[in-house]
Amino acid sequence: MLTNVFTKSLRDRSTAFLIGALSIGVMLWFGMAVYRDVDIGFYYENLPPAILEMMGIPQTGDVAGIAFGAMYNLIGAFTLAGLAISMGAYAIAGEERDGTLGLLLGNPLSRTGVLVAKAASLVALTALGTLILWGFGLVVPEWLDIDMSGIDVTAVMLALFFNALVYGCLALGIATWTGNRSLGSGVAVAVMLVGYLGASLLPLTENLADWARIFPWYYFTAGNPVVNGTDWGHIAVMGGLAAAFFVGAFSGVIRRDLKEMSTDRTVFDRLRESPRTRKMMERISGSARVSRISVKTASEFQGLLVITGSIMFYLGLLMPIFYGLIPDEFIELVESFPDALIAMVGGANMATAAGYLQAEIFSITGPIAILVVTIVMGAKALAGEEEGNTMGFLLGNPITRAHLIVEKTIAMVVYAVAVGMATFLGTWVGTLLAGTEVTATGLAGTSALMTLMGLLFGGLALAVGAATGRSRLASWVATGVALVSYFVFSFFPISEAFEPWARLSPFDLYLGSDPLTNGMAWGDAAILAAIFLVLVAISVPLFQRRDLRG
Amino acid sequence: MNNEPAILTEGLTKHYGEVEALVNLDLVVEKGEVFGFLGPNGAGKTTMIRTILDLIHPTAGKASILGLDSRVDAVEIRNHVGYLPSDLSMYPNLTGRDMITYFANLRGGVDKTYVDELAERLQADLTKKVGDLSSGNRQKVGLILTFMNRPQVLIMDEPSTGLDPLMQREFQTMMREVAEDGRTVFLSSHTLSEVQRVADRVGIIRLGHLVDVEFVDDLRSKAIRRVELQFDGPVEASVFAAVPGVRDVEVASHHASMSFDGRMDALLRTATQHYTLVDVNTQEADLEEIFLEYYRDGAAV
Repeated sequence: MLTNVFTKSLRDRSTAFLIGALSIGVMLWFGMAVYRDVDIGFYYENLPPAILEMMGIPQTGDVAGIAFGAMYNLIGAFTLAGLAISMGAYAIAGEERDGTLGLLLGNPLSRTGVLVAKAASLVALTALGTLILWGFGLVVPEWLDIDMSGIDVTAVMLALFFNALVYGCLALGIATWTGNRSLGSGVAVAVMLVGYLGASLLPLTENLADWARIFPWYYFTAGNPVVNGTDWGHIAVMGGLAAAFFVGAFSGVIRRDLKEMSTDRTVFDRLRESPRTRKMMERISGSARVSRISVKTASEFQGLLVITGSIMFYLGLLMPIFYGLIPDEFIELVESFPDALIAMVGGANMATAAGYLQAEIFSITGPIAILVVTIVMGAKALAGEEEGNTMGFLLGNPITRAHLIVEKTIAMVVYAVAVGMATFLGTWVGTLLAGTEVTATGLAGTSALMTLMGLLFGGLALAVGAATGRSRLASWVATGVALVSYFVFSFFPISEAFEPWARLSPFDLYLGSDPLTNGMAWGDAAILAAIFLVLVAISVPLFQRRDLRG
Repeated sequence: MNNEPAILTEGLTKHYGEVEALVNLDLVVEKGEVFGFLGPNGAGKTTMIRTILDLIHPTAGKASILGLDSRVDAVEIRNHVGYLPSDLSMYPNLTGRDMITYFANLRGGVDKTYVDELAERLQADLTKKVGDLSSGNRQKVGLILTFMNRPQVLIMDEPSTGLDPLMQREFQTMMREVAEDGRTVFLSSHTLSEVQRVADRVGIIRLGHLVDVEFVDDLRSKAIRRVELQFDGPVEASVFAAVPGVRDVEVASHHASMSFDGRMDALLRTATQHYTLVDVNTQEADLEEIFLEYYRDGAAV
């Protein structure tokens, strides 16, 4: 019986681990191929050791070291740990929320047995992901004929494995102890990110260096396993942490009354329930949340907006101020970076305030924030109602299918504009405070273009969802096209032959005119808006011709 | 409104690739009646309902509600229809009250006192999130949403799922009140007892074909009876099976039982000719028996 639980958990999650690990492996391959053809001497001649440390780059001057640092120590570690967190948080608490834990325990299984089987599958899949990365780490340098001397691949893998396990078990522990899946994954992600920042930044200051040891991430990177091999003491610390978190989960699952299927409780719900805040909440949200389809749709994604909007606002606020603190030598140094490296951060020239803002805010973080909002909303707009079995009920009311699309699109547009506004306001106030030489019109234009580009991909997700009724497919297609667009925009210009093709990317319509310096590019904006409207318009017949589910 | 029937389908057909979900369905549901739509799982009940509501498109044929074409006038139709889907799911994070406000707004308002009245009759808790309600309590919210606008035609797909017997009775009263009000109820179900109690007419659907439409009273007067005969010695089934109108003979030593819709004197004559009859017991069959008749292998399609 317990082996069934184990294998089912393996099956449910193996695709995610496979895709995650394979993507990282492919990125390692691309990364090594790109770095091989580029002069990388600048990394070691100019960058101070502390910066190298933060980028996860070991201090041996070869391609292998840089690629391992960039791909495995940072993106690879985050990806693997992220997958483990998602699985750990779901293990018990997720099945509780879905109402399937009761079904499971209707069989002759103990709670602790289920927990052990789930934890075992977590360990097995983390190991699988690590093994795939290991394979790439050994094979890719062979293919590309890259010198691997001085690189300890095995030590990196061991560290990666235990690092992911720490956060997976932390999520498992908290989610199982409280029965709250989001709390488990939220805390684990926060500990991971804060730990990463703490472990990388604190050692830069001499008298704070020791404090870095309180973060689990420290034990992953501090020993620099890429070069120095396995630090068994650090492995023991990570293993011990994972085991301790598992014990927490174990006692948690025994202690608690298990929940039945339940709904998410938002902060708003809690405020509504408290007698002190109820009046105020009723005035703010109250029944207005369901006054019409667009408003209700907006209220469903309120949490997403608050998170992405505030991230963009605060990043926008902080980054210009940060720029003022960067010493001139560093800027001179960055000016000497070759084009290939600059292309990787979105083609921005970090030597100017505008270029710096573009690299830090507008080329990657901003698009990710706005695309998360628009793609999720677009994909869920119609397909979500079908998958949630509410479409029939909804269309039992006197509204047309086209009207439904319009309402859902309104909600998406309003939220995209809100993220764009938050980005603009944050960067604007930030530049005012820091006295940076970036104009408000430049910021407004760039934010507006970013919003329109987000809407374009949201429209794509909407259209795919309308045509298929599948929200996952819709978000995968839109995300995939967005990723390809990004790579086309940032890498094609390096080669003269490919450069003209980069103009086809929506990212080029967004950043190609250098709107931070030149202000709003009305022509590009019109094209982005037109494509978005066309996508929404073709969603209507695509949706109308279909037999609906739900 | 007009004098058109509440629901009219002409040659309504729906194919999913090779699968024939609905075949040439001709049906008239008059205003002011409670119409029971009976059939086993997978017979095509839900397909028929979703087709006339324009959620899915017919392969051939057409349907109208209150004289309005199901495809051209879909939105106008929904102004006059209350629809309760089967396997009701709702937005789990909304309370019952939120659900009502949301759908009332989609319809341009609702009589709040009537909603409260319905909630009271069904003892529905509208303050909890629907995701936290049991399936029966969730169903109550669905019923309120279907009834609250006093629609001309109520189309409900297996509506009493999860309701306790008391609530089922209340719900049946509510359906009768709708019919008395001159409005129409179209009720899909496989719960025969419910249809028997509440419906004026029943349509029976099997494998996408409308097998029969009958008044409930006529169905009953088809006089299929359950007959039980007690003898003083062992009997053989073949003796009774030869009598016209006898089906499903079951024999257990001194005892024979059968379904019967022929002349009673023929059966009794045969019984007394062969054996010594001790006792006779006969009952009017309930709809269940009649219903099963339609699903027997070889029943007319």
